[in-house]
Amino acid sequence: MTSASDSDDRPGSAVTMAALAVIVFLQIPVIVVVLAAFSTTSYLTIPPRGLTLAWFGKVLSDPSYLSAIRMSLILACGSTAISLVLGVAAAYALFRKALPGSEAITSVLMAPLVLPAVVIGVALLQYYSLTGLRGSLFGLLMAHVVITVPYIVRSALASLSGLDLAVEEAARVLGANGFEAFRLVTLPLILPGLVAGALFAFITSLDNVPVTIFLISANQTTLPVLIFSSVEMGIDPSVAAVSTLLIAATGIILLIAERRFGFHRFV
Amino acid sequence: MSALSFERLGKSYGEAEVVREVSLTIAEGEFVSLLGPSGCGKTTILRMVAGLVAPSRGRILIGSDDVTALPPNKRGLGLVFQSYALFPHLTVFENVAFGLRRRKVSGAELGRRVKEALARVRLDAYGERFPRQLSGGQQQRVAIARAIAPQPRVLLFDEPLSNLDAQLRDEMQIELKRLQRGLGITTLFVTHDQGEALSMSDRVCVMARGVMQQFATPEDIYHRPATGFVASFIGKPNRLQGTVATRDGQGGSLRLGTGLILQAAHIDAAVGAKVDVVIRQEAIRLRSGQPEPDALAGTVALRSFSGARVQYVVRLTEGIELIAETSSSGPDSALDPGTPVSLVIDAGSIFAMASEGAAA
Repeated sequence: MTSASDSDDRPGSAVTMAALAVIVFLQIPVIVVVLAAFSTTSYLTIPPRGLTLAWFGKVLSDPSYLSAIRMSLILACGSTAISLVLGVAAAYALFRKALPGSEAITSVLMAPLVLPAVVIGVALLQYYSLTGLRGSLFGLLMAHVVITVPYIVRSALASLSGLDLAVEEAARVLGANGFEAFRLVTLPLILPGLVAGALFAFITSLDNVPVTIFLISANQTTLPVLIFSSVEMGIDPSVAAVSTLLIAATGIILLIAERRFGFHRFV
Repeated sequence: MSALSFERLGKSYGEAEVVREVSLTIAEGEFVSLLGPSGCGKTTILRMVAGLVAPSRGRILIGSDDVTALPPNKRGLGLVFQSYALFPHLTVFENVAFGLRRRKVSGAELGRRVKEALARVRLDAYGERFPRQLSGGQQQRVAIARAIAPQPRVLLFDEPLSNLDAQLRDEMQIELKRLQRGLGITTLFVTHDQGEALSMSDRVCVMARGVMQQFATPEDIYHRPATGFVASFIGKPNRLQGTVATRDGQGGSLRLGTGLILQAAHIDAAVGAKVDVVIRQEAIRLRSGQPEPDALAGTVALRSFSGARVQYVVRLTEGIELIAETSSSGPDSALDPGTPVSLVIDAGSIFAMASEGAAA
């Protein structure tokens, strides 16, 4: 049936061309950045002149890049881990309708997805100035939890909604206490969805500029913020090199996730 | 010795009282069905026994232990769900082992008891499969093996056969009953299917709107219904309206429609009262040829053959239609539409109770 309707509904060549054009247009910047990272010139140029890995070497021996990478990884790993614990717990309670006003709570948890990031940044800046959290790693970590937790909640809720409630009840009747039933039955069943949510959360944190830039202190910065400020000062292929590293890392993570959990089903 | 008992067990959701003061005692090794239409509270009772729903009132005892406040994992029960609720990420072996592992059974003992449970349901060779690789009937049997493996004190079934096709359902009824007899395990079986309840149970508890109607053997439930509800719910009833003409002990006579008089052995209303009349389809016998004395007269309007049984729609001379069911190999199994017949109805199979509207 699908194959018949596929051939009937096949888009016209104009639509196909337009779609291709959009895809190419979206991919060009990525290709440009990757190519530029290998150029021997001291400025960004396309096509690259010559071929060198020098810019990668420069980035990986530059202490400011290294500390920014370390900072970004600490934030991304930390906020993803915290969001996983909080988000799964919240989604589980919301799903089981254990509390009144679950619709409203869901909306609040998901709000960072729809609020402009700049608004969150400004709001947190004021809040942190008042509470003395400004410039602290803890404050920054919590800010990243706020922007990553919706991805976990969303994927956890989606996975839970496909679950037969009786499965967990069966575990309970067979002698598992509440936590065991969750750990041995519910968690393994929602794990693929959680991995997808965690990847989104990780990448969102790793990539965040608009919230982070309001909250970082002078002596600690994250990779995307550093790239952002480097570009302001004048662009050289080391920016392209570090961007290429970021793209490669993301690509490898997605590839592993796809192989291991069938990631595409959750996007 | 009683294996499971309820004392004035009740459950309300806000204003709605879904189970009202149900008290009953189930003996060791007994097979009891909770039978009733959807919404009668039977599943709520089962879930209260399992500990998945907290009772609003009353107590539940397993053996002599009050388990009313215990969580499900401390009750030592087995439960077979309507949806089977197998663990999809675990093999058949691990599904069956789940309850044993929670009881700290391990090693050779674990393997032996899982194999034994799987052998009971004839799935010895399927231990390494995953549930999705099994047919519905096989999944059902895995669910049963999983429930019996830890040797529960009481086995609970929540409409376990309703997802199976008719033929498999009949096979499973017999298999389940044999299994239960073999294990000697006290069983509470929830169903809306009277055939299941009557054929498998030692005793049946009929429920309606949260109230226990009758708790008795299948024979008593069928032949001696305690309430109008049971009479109209069990068997295949013709439902008619009438008035009570005379009373005589338990029974009396009924007037239906335009002057048809019927003798009934069970009348639960005063003379002159409007009543709902239930006549079992299988209690009506048809005779062609000369009308018999005391028999009603009518004409076959429709004949419907369904294998072992034949159903007739018969139009009485008084204008009332009745459905009569008979064995397809009996003497009255081949009556064509239009055939004049006389109807012989056993007074013991006619039940009358005050109309719902009139009683209020």
